[in-house]
Amino acid sequence: MVTEMTTPILIALIINLIYAKAIGLTEGIAAREVGNDFWMATLMAILQGAVMMVITVLLIKQNAKEDLVQRAKSIVGPILGGLIGLLFVLYFAGAYAVVMITFVDHLRDYFLPELPTIVFVIVASLVALYAMQKGIVVTGRIAVVGVFSIILLNILLMIGTIEDFNIERLFPVFRTGIMATFLASRHADTDFAMASMMTGMILPYIAQKDKWIKATLTGVFYGGVLVMLWPILECGVLTAPETGHYIVACMQMARSAEIGWFVHRYEMIMVAFFAISLLVQLMMLLYCGVEAIAHTFTQKSSRLWLPITALFSMTSYLIVIDHRRTMQFLSVIWPPFSLAIAFLVIALLLVIGYVQKFIKQRQRFASMKKS
Amino acid sequence: MDTLTAMRYQTAISSVLAYNVFLIKEILVDNSDLIERPFTVTLDHELDGVIFYIDGLSNNQLISQALLDPLIHKSLEQELLGGSRQQSIGTIEKILVTNPEVKIVKTVGEAIDNLLTGESIVVVEGLSKAFTMGTKGWEARMPSEPATELVVRGPRDSFTENMRTNTSLLRRRIKDPMLRLKTQKIGTRTKTAVTIAYLEDVANQRIVMDVQERLQSIKIDAVLESGYLEEMITDARHSPFVTMKTTERPDAAAAAILEGRVVIISDNTPFSLIVPSYFWDGFMASDDYYASYFLGTFSRIIRLIALVISLTLPSLYVLLVSFHQEMIPTQLALSMAAGRESVPFPVLVEVLLMEIAFELMREAGLRMPRPVGQAVSIVGSLIIGQAAVQAGLVSPIMVIIIAVTGIASFAIPSYATSFTIRFLRFPLLLASGMLGLLGFTAVLYVLTVHALSLQSFGEPYVAPIIPFRPSEQKDSLLRVPWWKMNTRPTFAKEKTRQPDPLDEQRKGQKSG
Repeated sequence: MVTEMTTPILIALIINLIYAKAIGLTEGIAAREVGNDFWMATLMAILQGAVMMVITVLLIKQNAKEDLVQRAKSIVGPILGGLIGLLFVLYFAGAYAVVMITFVDHLRDYFLPELPTIVFVIVASLVALYAMQKGIVVTGRIAVVGVFSIILLNILLMIGTIEDFNIERLFPVFRTGIMATFLASRHADTDFAMASMMTGMILPYIAQKDKWIKATLTGVFYGGVLVMLWPILECGVLTAPETGHYIVACMQMARSAEIGWFVHRYEMIMVAFFAISLLVQLMMLLYCGVEAIAHTFTQKSSRLWLPITALFSMTSYLIVIDHRRTMQFLSVIWPPFSLAIAFLVIALLLVIGYVQKFIKQRQRFASMKKS
Repeated sequence: MDTLTAMRYQTAISSVLAYNVFLIKEILVDNSDLIERPFTVTLDHELDGVIFYIDGLSNNQLISQALLDPLIHKSLEQELLGGSRQQSIGTIEKILVTNPEVKIVKTVGEAIDNLLTGESIVVVEGLSKAFTMGTKGWEARMPSEPATELVVRGPRDSFTENMRTNTSLLRRRIKDPMLRLKTQKIGTRTKTAVTIAYLEDVANQRIVMDVQERLQSIKIDAVLESGYLEEMITDARHSPFVTMKTTERPDAAAAAILEGRVVIISDNTPFSLIVPSYFWDGFMASDDYYASYFLGTFSRIIRLIALVISLTLPSLYVLLVSFHQEMIPTQLALSMAAGRESVPFPVLVEVLLMEIAFELMREAGLRMPRPVGQAVSIVGSLIIGQAAVQAGLVSPIMVIIIAVTGIASFAIPSYATSFTIRFLRFPLLLASGMLGLLGFTAVLYVLTVHALSLQSFGEPYVAPIIPFRPSEQKDSLLRVPWWKMNTRPTFAKEKTRQPDPLDEQRKGQKSG
């Protein structure tokens, strides 16, 4: 069923897709790599994210009725396109695992350490499955709620930490060098990549084709701004070495925040507010995974809901069960894999698409000349 | 209906009086309230006839005055002209037809259908048609103060069980020729009259058509209350959320019509349905519009706080005490622990016991006669609560939590919405008690997704908040002053309600 969505919903979805992992896990990894330049790395990632988004939107704009998989099939043929489709499915499975890591690490490490990990994975996947079954428009509406709660969380965090904020901790910048900071931005790039890949899958359902670029860039910009607050506060309040000590740096940040005597710890407020964003991410990635595999094998997507949910959940569980494996996956395996697909493959398809269009135009022009 | 009765039902009225009487009496056999009153009119010929009516549904005096008297007078006044029998029959027909309340029916079934609505049936020897006479008249309750939607300031009348009284209450408020009241019969056995009321130039025709189509598609034998209709035509058949607002207040129904909504009034019930309805409509009371807009807005904010408390307070308490004690400030945690020291049950069991006890008290108080019901509430809340704390069965803070939650649920104006929230509290409670914050978040998310997926006659149920509709914010969580309430909801055909006087003034100044 094709459902038309509005651009504000697309913007809300993009913001949600960028936010949840970027504010905590990503910052911790980047802080371990480049010290207090991690906030500069996030800033750089916003620009790179914008470039990725534009490339993706231009690819879909070549034929506004096709999503990423369908575009790949149209451009490089059904066999090679199918292989690329499978690559996209792998991407969404990996992204799902990344978000599941974020979800589990927040709740397990800070709230329910005795609860078996499988319970977190099953509960989150069932909720995502339920939302997916209701359709992307419903998830889009939840994403709007998610944006409001993200804004509220950011405001609360600012109020709760402003007293301890020291701007001097943010400087000097580029202590590790511009190149190292740029390389460290790849971690945050993966968060923006999730948003651009998701956009590539749902863009055909968004009305007003002429507003796609503006809307998606607005999403990236606002998403980036909302994320940026965290590394700045983490660096200015916790300091970079402290941020690097924690897997989920944002939770440590929330723990440090307080308003008066009764709101003395923010962890629960934090989870309450950004759980929406996390669950929107899970649902959208599941949806994109199902759509990608359905278009790869030309199947009805509703038949694939359960098996894909089970597959994605199992993959996530196998990664999230072990902390060492989780960190290995997040900091070593995921960035190159994610960016190779979300940036290189998409850019390659875009170029081939343009070349094909150019050749076709030349041929048409030549045949018109002959006739 | 068996085959023989069905055949008799469809039979045309015969010119043989005895046969018609036989058919009517056979179909309505063993009915002590069916009155058969034979009469004879002496014109040039003696003609026999029978009046049928249902005792208690028809007005006996009216039957005598409007039906029998003209016939008897005519027979007394009639000069014998030596006319044919057929001419005499024609004279009787003329006498009956001149009465504006008389309709002609051709089949036995039609005659019986009218008879059962309180009308009288006249069958005459030699006439192959029957006459139905509007003689409805039964004891009905007068409009009184609404029992479920009390207001401090506002009208004190309410709908009654009589549909005509209800439609007149609407007409008295909306004296607009564009007000439409379309009636249809629903229920193969009850043939309940159901009227849809709307403003032709304001209501969206899509919604009006949708309501009509859904009502026409109902296949049911009986409609005894508007709740039957609600379940049959609702968008959310398997949902605890109520996607149609019910009201027994004529002013609330009139306000809904003026906003471009459609009101469904069913006979035999004071509760009418309003469509389309948003989730937030359950948090709006008539007072909001009659008191100052500051007060109206403040009351709505209080009710939203009541929603949050009513839905989440017990669950938050359970998850904090059972799983996340570190989130509670130390002093408060110590007080809670001291209160729970002697309680032998886990928190979840304690909350469930108290919640069930509270629901029992509420239900008992509702079903008992009013003075006894009040006594049950007082005994339950004060004496049992105090005794349970002293016996060490529940902690004092638990009594406070349940009491606050209960009061919050009663602060929600719509009984149906309040019930929904009370019901949804239980899955949230169980999930929080079993999985802590994880369970709470998951169930809350599922509920949100579910609510967001609902529609009320094509309109998103959680609108105008999600999707956000700026023009409708004037009357959602806030209530702006009347001079600013110049637009209707986006689903209305005519969106402008009245010009903004300030805008008019500005325009005047510019042109001046």
